[in-house]
Amino acid sequence: MTWISKTVTFTGLVLLAHACYSAVEHTTLQTTLSTTTVSPTHPSTSPASLPLDISLETLFSILTITFGFALGTSPLRPIQWRVWAGLIEREGEEAFTNADGEVSRDYVGNPFKMLETRPGFVDIRRQRKEFAEWVKHGRDKQLELL
Amino acid sequence: MTTEKDFQISPIVPEAIAHNSKTLFNYQSLTASIFGVGAGILGLESYIGFLFYLICSIVAALFFYTLRVAPSSIASGKAPFDTSRYFRGALEFWTGGLTGGLAGFILTWTLFYGLVRA
Repeated sequence: MTWISKTVTFTGLVLLAHACYSAVEHTTLQTTLSTTTVSPTHPSTSPASLPLDISLETLFSILTITFGFALGTSPLRPIQWRVWAGLIEREGEEAFTNADGEVSRDYVGNPFKMLETRPGFVDIRRQRKEFAEWVKHGRDKQLELL
Repeated sequence: MTTEKDFQISPIVPEAIAHNSKTLFNYQSLTASIFGVGAGILGLESYIGFLFYLICSIVAALFFYTLRVAPSSIASGKAPFDTSRYFRGALEFWTGGLTGGLAGFILTWTLFYGLVRA
């Protein structure tokens, strides 16, 4: 994805530089011609009138560069919390990679992590019971071995 | 009109808003400078130059919409030209570049006008 955007942008920049150089050459030629051939009845054409091909090349190169920049922007993120969290749950890090294919720095990971590990859901009585049984059975097994 | 109750029911992510706005602002600043180069080469003057900037900004916003917003926005059931999946205000999306990129536009416009016509 990123090399497409870079190629398109580069092509547009080359075209724009060419159009700019052509425009400079054209105006230079116009002014030299108008100073060497003095004709008061036929006033020199104003330098504002560019040839059609240079104008078209400029417009085309601007559109190309804009398209390349738009291709190169990093993907947007949903602003609604439920859409955003659902995207992370479904796609994980892939939804938060930037144009260069790296995971962006402010990617926070699973938004439900705090809920899944909150201590209010730890059943301490059950854990105590299991530990007591383990101690008892472990002792029985040790006695059997002896 | 969104009230505080609406935000309680469907909360929004500030980081996502900041990320989207930053992406859009960078894009608009870059393209505005390029439009200025174009306007300078074409030798536009006064109102025509600003009209050129207005049209180009709208075209740039359309590009951004079709490439970045539209594919997932329409797939999630939003109407065309509805940017509410990624941006809070539609006006901010379509015309935010006009004010943000104006300084860069005028800078490169005058520079390239001077370079080409000098």
